[in-house]
Amino acid sequence: MKAIKTRGASTLNIRSIIIYAGLMMLLFIPVDMFAQADSTQKEAPAAEAAVAEEESSLIGPSLDFITVQKANNTIDLKASMQAKVKGSFYKLSLLKVSFVLVTETGDIPLGFVITDKYGKAVLNVKADSLKTDAEGKLNFKAVFAGNKAMDPAEGELSIKRARLELTPVKEDSLLTVQLKLVDLGTGTETPIPETALGIFVARLINPMKVGEGTTDADGAASVEIPNNLPGDAKGNITLIARLDENDVYGNLEASVIQPWGLKVSDTLKELPRALWSPHPPLWMVITFTILMVAVWGHYIVIVVQLFRLRKEEPHTAIATKN
Amino acid sequence: MELNSYQQEAFNYQRPNIEKFGKSNLLWIIFFLLWIVVGGYALYLQIAHGHVVTGMRDNVVWGLFIVNFIFFIGLSYAGAIISGLLHLFKVPWGKPIIRLSQMMTITSVIVGPIFILLCVGRFDRLHHLFIYPRLQSPMTWDVLAILTYFVGSALFLYMALIKDFAVYRDAKMNVPKWKQKLYTALALGYRGAASQKRHLIISQNLLAIIIIPLSIMVSSILSWIFGMTLRPGWHSTIFGPYFVLGALYSGCGVLIVAMWAYRKMYKLEHYFTDKIFLNLGYFMMVLAAAYGYFTFSEYFTSWFGSAKWDADVINKLFSLQEYGWWTLFANLFGILVPIAIVAIPATRKVNWITLASFAMVVALWVKRYLIIVPTLETPALPMQDTRMEYVKYSATLPEWALTFAGIASFLLLFTLISKLVTVVPVSELEEPLHQHNHNHEPVVVNKEAIQTV
Repeated sequence: MKAIKTRGASTLNIRSIIIYAGLMMLLFIPVDMFAQADSTQKEAPAAEAAVAEEESSLIGPSLDFITVQKANNTIDLKASMQAKVKGSFYKLSLLKVSFVLVTETGDIPLGFVITDKYGKAVLNVKADSLKTDAEGKLNFKAVFAGNKAMDPAEGELSIKRARLELTPVKEDSLLTVQLKLVDLGTGTETPIPETALGIFVARLINPMKVGEGTTDADGAASVEIPNNLPGDAKGNITLIARLDENDVYGNLEASVIQPWGLKVSDTLKELPRALWSPHPPLWMVITFTILMVAVWGHYIVIVVQLFRLRKEEPHTAIATKN
Repeated sequence: MELNSYQQEAFNYQRPNIEKFGKSNLLWIIFFLLWIVVGGYALYLQIAHGHVVTGMRDNVVWGLFIVNFIFFIGLSYAGAIISGLLHLFKVPWGKPIIRLSQMMTITSVIVGPIFILLCVGRFDRLHHLFIYPRLQSPMTWDVLAILTYFVGSALFLYMALIKDFAVYRDAKMNVPKWKQKLYTALALGYRGAASQKRHLIISQNLLAIIIIPLSIMVSSILSWIFGMTLRPGWHSTIFGPYFVLGALYSGCGVLIVAMWAYRKMYKLEHYFTDKIFLNLGYFMMVLAAAYGYFTFSEYFTSWFGSAKWDADVINKLFSLQEYGWWTLFANLFGILVPIAIVAIPATRKVNWITLASFAMVVALWVKRYLIIVPTLETPALPMQDTRMEYVKYSATLPEWALTFAGIASFLLLFTLISKLVTVVPVSELEEPLHQHNHNHEPVVVNKEAIQTV
């Protein structure tokens, strides 16, 4: 009995050592060995994994809430959700965010949006249909009700109605945009003076700032636009005027498309021969294939000859050997 | 396996070298292993801290590692070309040195590419070379060419060894059982039967024919990694033949030095004769002259053309404040000294030729450095945030440690192979006085036939 016990214990020890050694070897695998995929694709699963891990203690998400008043009298209500789990921030996708207009008589639901893969939810509402408070302000609330993994979260905002207008003006070769910023909170249009506005042009990822102006007593400003901006195939560029993060009005935006850019063809031209071209030249493929087949073909013939060498070992010699 | 008396004598003479493993062998191996351990520590530092421990930076992205890679791969090509030519043309005096040149081929083709692995920063992306190859990239050509060449040279060495393995197998040597089994397995049942001889000769000839153009092509492809770029000092039409010639030349030097070392260690004066040294010396002299001609053409056309970037590189190479002394050393010992030593009758001696060869090998290593580093220190495009320490390369201790570890690995592999097989091939040997005369009576290898040397 004693012997059996000892053997069992030693087997266990060897097994443990092998498992332990295996685990230790795992430590030598570079952590980023498989980090080749687009990291943005990983956010949702990562967030889900994080959610699963944190089931025992609920995650406290944060909800950032902003509004953007558009020139067409609509308002974008934008909520962005993220959470910090184990020191890293995760964008929270697939969560329901409800938007509410807060009035003196009670909350009026405006609708809900499910957050996208970047954790963003945007609801566009018609401003004229919304009821302002006594001060002429609109009070909004964005609410995430929470779920079994996360605490609820909400954000509140109060903005005064305003409108930013953008009018493109072309005089000879001089390109300008005329801006007008008016307060709509009181029901009449009141100019907003001494306010800095930025002019941007839409680019592939983020708008690029091309100028800025400050409104005068009439709430008007004029900003010159460069005439060498690359546009699309027709030379169109999207000009955007913005008032950012104003304490009273929040964010305001107006945009217009003008053929003021340089025409940049969007059709792919035939690329010149290059190291990064999709395919090597045909002659190169043919030459390469011939060379490789010729050399490796010879190798195969030689290896076959070597096999035949063994096959043709004289029997007498084998007998002698044996 | 039957041998004639001269071959038998050669085998008996060398037999103790593969049967015994002396203290001096062990000391050499420990010495090489120590260097490899030091190199291993340097590699650990490089992996732990990144390539910042090397002298390579934004501008000079290739340093000692690539110099060593080209140097070793060059030796390998030279070994293949020399052994292929000696085999194909059945040069009688060259038979004793075929094995050495094949050993040089295989050891350097193993050691050389390791330096590429040391040079790349992302080991985890190494397999991308195979799963995302771009056929239009010289890098892809080089990877495929070296792989193909490695297989070819390994086969070439092996086929030349089969007959000798059969001799070792039949000689019932005083070696460990595993070694005896290894000889038996590697001999592939070769007994010298007529059909076996035919198969072996066909294979050997085929491969000898393939290996020579293959070496030339692979060496040219290596040069095209440089030549295909538009960089000053690299974008040159003569780079292909220049590299082939440089490889052959330096390989010839290493072969002479290796011959000298084995001649001293194993007392092989009877086989590595003065005549072989002299013949290789003449070959080296011719190569030196051709190499000198190529070098002059390269520098002269660049200098005369005076294109801005080319002129910058040439000025760097010849300015004594920069690489002038290196250039002088590379050309003096790489071209003029070997020619002079072989040309002057008084110095046309084994030791002098070996000394010249050794100096030439070092000079050609320096020449590789001069091809790579000064060009990279002359960027064709201005770079943002360029700092002097990024522009100027100087090799660091980890790089030197890994370089010496590579040399130690090369020598270690050489030592290990020479403990497994005879340095002078036995079964193909011809008596110098009776070359072309095959009248030796064959004798069967057995204990009685073995003579004490």
